[in-house]
Amino acid sequence: MTPVIEVKNLKKYFPTPHGTLHAVDNVSFKIEKGKTIGVVGESGCGKSTLGRTIIHLHESTGGQIFLDGNDITKLKGKELKKVREKMQIIFQDPYSSLDPRKTIESTIREPFVVSKRYSKSEIEEKTLELMSLVGIDERLRRSYPHELDGGRRQRVGIARALALEPEFVVCDEPVSALDVSIQAQVLNLLKKLQIERGLTYMFVTHDMSVVRHISDDICVMYLGQVVEKCEAKELFARPLHPYTKALLSAIPSTDIHNKTKREILKGEITSPINPKPGCRFAARCPFAVEACHQPQVQEEVSPGHFVTCCRVHEIQKI
Amino acid sequence: MAKEMKKEESPFLQIKDLVVEYKSDDQIVHAVNGVSLNLGKGRTLGLVGETGAGKTTIAKSIMRILPDVGAKITGGEIFLDGRNVLELSETEMRKIRGNTVSMIFQDPMTALNPVQRVGDQIAEVVRLHNDEKVNPEKRAKEMLEIVGIPAERYYEYPHQFSGGMKQRVVIAIALACNPDLLLADEATTALDVTIQAQVMDLIGELQKKYNTAMILITHDMGIVAQVCDDVAIIYAGQILEYGSKEQIFDYPTHPYTIGLFGAIPSMSGDEMWLHPIDGLPPDPTNLPEGCPFSPRCQYASDMCRKDGIGFHMTEDGHQCRCCRIEEIKKMKREEDQK
Repeated sequence: MTPVIEVKNLKKYFPTPHGTLHAVDNVSFKIEKGKTIGVVGESGCGKSTLGRTIIHLHESTGGQIFLDGNDITKLKGKELKKVREKMQIIFQDPYSSLDPRKTIESTIREPFVVSKRYSKSEIEEKTLELMSLVGIDERLRRSYPHELDGGRRQRVGIARALALEPEFVVCDEPVSALDVSIQAQVLNLLKKLQIERGLTYMFVTHDMSVVRHISDDICVMYLGQVVEKCEAKELFARPLHPYTKALLSAIPSTDIHNKTKREILKGEITSPINPKPGCRFAARCPFAVEACHQPQVQEEVSPGHFVTCCRVHEIQKI
Repeated sequence: MAKEMKKEESPFLQIKDLVVEYKSDDQIVHAVNGVSLNLGKGRTLGLVGETGAGKTTIAKSIMRILPDVGAKITGGEIFLDGRNVLELSETEMRKIRGNTVSMIFQDPMTALNPVQRVGDQIAEVVRLHNDEKVNPEKRAKEMLEIVGIPAERYYEYPHQFSGGMKQRVVIAIALACNPDLLLADEATTALDVTIQAQVMDLIGELQKKYNTAMILITHDMGIVAQVCDDVAIIYAGQILEYGSKEQIFDYPTHPYTIGLFGAIPSMSGDEMWLHPIDGLPPDPTNLPEGCPFSPRCQYASDMCRKDGIGFHMTEDGHQCRCCRIEEIKKMKREEDQK
């Protein structure tokens, strides 16, 4: 089966006064239809930029993007507009991603109007249909965003993203701004919609328990590069890259009796501007040796489990 | 300044029936509705709840830094080391703030003054509260080192620091005068997990060293599990469940607490669906009669909606405000047996 989305060696660099910022560097993966890939990493690791570059909100610097097997990397103008309908995004902050001067109804209606595919009465009908799909009461149609709570606003963002029946949706931290009880409501909604509509998700988040719950596969990013990639279960059961291990052990566990020994990383994420060749995590890595400062290759350690670390086998023995 | 040692009989911090309201135009926001809690020296209390539950308002009431216009403490007492802070003059309060009690604010990006050197911002607290024997600049440099920032960065400005480092500066300010009580309001929420782990470790170390009492305001059950001794679950300005960490995590009793635990995606489970709590927190300008959680509670009966909130305390001090607690326990047992 052709994957819905495939990226090969995708790069996105930003010029800055101090040099080139390597936000996304040589990232490759595929997502099959109806599946979810989770992208995790700390702030500034390039996970949001990756999502935005795939759906052409940023122009890529290098590499290729395929949608349903077609290379869409270089599309422009009308062709790009057509492809964009199939790829949508749900933003992190439901407080700033909705137009404060538009009613809920007109925000949800907008994609239909822009697409010019429907008559006025069809648009009306479809808007109401969408509102009930994401669980917004019809009585709220003329409300403004400031009158809604975070959970409802995020539902509006979801409705807007799904209006033109996309195949692929980038969910950029869609529940990070919500309280746990509301977060669970929205996560269940996203899952229900995925099953009903066969949606393919890329789920960007820094919350490891959310990503574990929603993803089929997970990519762990560090400073623009994917350091580890495998099935969600496998990643939590058998993390191999030292960064993944540190990330997982830093999560405060709700189990009060089983206090696991935590590996606390020293130092902070370094700058992605003009990075040196070699492993970008080496500066903080407790296992770093001379060889880590040479360019690293991705290795398939076990079927479907990819790690970019030259010492992965030695570390396992330690 | 030498801090007087008081008798250990009453807890260091004691809040009794605190009520706080915000008035705006013609509405009254009932932010805190009768909160009572105790905290001893060196202990950590986790204050857990959703946005708008009143957690920050409680902390600000202790510091008496609620906004002058609109906010009003309409009932209750707050005893700090035996003194009711609500009766103190502003001059006396100034001596307490930053010295006896200090607060770490949620957002390190906005808590620092962008046009003042970070070192000077730490030195300022020391200058205000210490006698002349302590050199503020020296103490500030010491504090920087304690929080893991080289002292030579004293002369830099906040924008030259990363998020994690800024939060460490905020912590250095809060701890510069060895406070007896530290109020940490979502102190690590804005940080990445690996940095959060560093910062929590640091706070824990310093707390142990100076025997500081701490109120940790958070919505992250994981942090509570790792750090706190006691936990208060707060909802619509009331404490619904209150007890030791073991009591709350091993025997959650209130339907809201149970709901909160159920809504967290588990790290090990493979559940297809999460169990959200239906509905939304109540509007604080228009709280429901009776138990504030009753509109969302699957066990709510007419009694909950009318007569209000029960109060139940076990012998070992586990408090739960639910009038159907015994019935719910029985129902749960029957469910489990099935």
